[in-house]
Amino acid sequence: MSLQTNNGTSSHSPLVCLQSLNKEYGNFTAVDHINLNIQKGEFLTFLGSSGSGKSTTLSMIAGFETPTSGEILLNEHSLIQIPSHKRGIGMVFQHYSLFPHMNVRDNIGFPLDIRKIPKAERDKKVDDILKLVQLETFADRRPSMLSGGQKQRVAIARALVYEPDILLMDEPLGALDKKLREDLQDELRLLHKRLGITIIYVTHDQDEAMRLSERIAIFKEGKIVGLGTGKDLYRKPPNAFVASFLGSSNFLKVKVSGPNSATFEGQTIQLDSEHDVPFNQQALLMIRPENLQVLSEDQATQSPIQTDENEAFGTVNESVFLGESLTCSITTADGSLVTSKSIATDLPEIEPGAKVRLRWKVQHSSVYSKWERSDIEKDAS
Amino acid sequence: MLLSQGSMGWKLKSSLYVITGAIAAFLALPIFFIVALSFGSSRWLVFPPPKWTLKWYEKFFENPQWIDSAMTSLQVALLTSVIATLIALPASFALVRGKFKGRDYLYSLFTLPMIVPVVIIAVAVYGVFLNLGLTGTLFAFVVSHVIVALPFAVISIINSLRLFDKSIEDAAVICGAHRLQAIFKVTFPSIKPGIFAGALFAFLVSWDEVVISVMMASPELQTLPVKMWSTLRQDLTPVIAVASTLLIFLSLIIMVMAGLARRYSNR
Repeated sequence: MSLQTNNGTSSHSPLVCLQSLNKEYGNFTAVDHINLNIQKGEFLTFLGSSGSGKSTTLSMIAGFETPTSGEILLNEHSLIQIPSHKRGIGMVFQHYSLFPHMNVRDNIGFPLDIRKIPKAERDKKVDDILKLVQLETFADRRPSMLSGGQKQRVAIARALVYEPDILLMDEPLGALDKKLREDLQDELRLLHKRLGITIIYVTHDQDEAMRLSERIAIFKEGKIVGLGTGKDLYRKPPNAFVASFLGSSNFLKVKVSGPNSATFEGQTIQLDSEHDVPFNQQALLMIRPENLQVLSEDQATQSPIQTDENEAFGTVNESVFLGESLTCSITTADGSLVTSKSIATDLPEIEPGAKVRLRWKVQHSSVYSKWERSDIEKDAS
Repeated sequence: MLLSQGSMGWKLKSSLYVITGAIAAFLALPIFFIVALSFGSSRWLVFPPPKWTLKWYEKFFENPQWIDSAMTSLQVALLTSVIATLIALPASFALVRGKFKGRDYLYSLFTLPMIVPVVIIAVAVYGVFLNLGLTGTLFAFVVSHVIVALPFAVISIINSLRLFDKSIEDAAVICGAHRLQAIFKVTFPSIKPGIFAGALFAFLVSWDEVVISVMMASPELQTLPVKMWSTLRQDLTPVIAVASTLLIFLSLIIMVMAGLARRYSNR
């Protein structure tokens, strides 16, 4: 199969191109002028909560929804006027959506039967793909006789058997339990590596997005508010929403006092030089809990502060031992609440009520000049 | 729980059994009596029958009028069932999938014949067909029966279509099937039990319809319930019990078939 020899060598023009894609339902804007390029062979995930527009965008690529305006290009050709069944796109749905009255073999053979592929070729392709997803022994079963994981594999096989340019997956693992989901995530990642197919994957589960994808597009209210590798989005979130949405985060209100300095609770702290906050303005400083080091007063005096470090004062409210890690809830001098997370191998003795120093490296903090209350209050809700 | 048998006292429990039994008997006894009387030897429908006999069945099957009316009933019911289902199928798709103004009103319109007293529909269609000179024709029977049978077919198909996961059809479309192809190859086979049940209900409605049929009937063309009705007015003969028993028997078979179809669809 040509499927297996395709290594996804990236060409200059993107495979899929969304240009100012817009979808409105009455007064409600589901997808708000999205621009996005998807490269050949890429595994891209649309991540967002429900109603963020990720599924609507996928539906528009599949052709089940018609854009209000904008353009979708596949291999530089517009898809807008092409009906779903002629787009040559593969799709895996949330509830598998297998044909209940057909056995596994006929489910997978369906796209080939529709295309009137000669029987011998059809059977060979079905056999090949059955082998690929390791379902040879289940070929004659009805979907109702399969487990959730097997159904999902049939759905993937059915979507791949006609060698589509692109595979869309709409929360395909949402209905499975955690253990099976993680196994299938690993399988899917391997499948993607081996076949080099282009996958657009939709999920609301950030762990899944991190585990699977090469790039993540974070959706919020119909817009893409973050786009990049999981690592980049986590380490240097482009805005407060992404910082708060991906993983946990501490937000401190600071006042910018120079090109790379600010005041926090009366103290001057250093900022990473990459920020665009005007002088003398309020800003939000974001530090991940695992980048916040907690030291007792004794430890602090023994190990002097490094040049690339900042320090703040606080009082411990509570510390919780979680096996591999220890989390501390700390109130700073002026009453901001922060959380730290340390690997629990060499524990500092931290008792509730203890006075502590908080230290973090300058490059581990991000600064934002604009934010909405809802962006940073995710953890509270 | 109020409805948990285990926590009930024996008094409550036994009185519940008595009441349930009494209601069941109240519902089933007339049927039981009629069936028993059809095999009874008494000309005057004495109960319990003094002797058992099959002579009323002989009389029924010897009389071409009874056989003709039974065949007419079967013909009308079959045609009604097929036509009602063929109308209900696209109507159900429009009512479930359609996004147009007044969809809910249209749904109400389709179910209206179930709510409007049958006699009103009967008088109305009688007036129309009388004007057209069509009373006493198979056409008039079928058209008027389709009116009252349609809601049952529509409701049954709509229910199965609502339960059907449309993404299965979408999957067929993205696999390369034209929407209509997907509906015929995937959606219809999946909702087949619902379509089948709808057809059976439509058949049953026509099969025991009497109010409209009395108006549509002519001496030459009448359905079994009409023949029973007119016979009953002249003469109380046990042959009517025979006709009733046969009517019930066929209805029972159809109910069992509908039940099986439903069970199949729930799998």
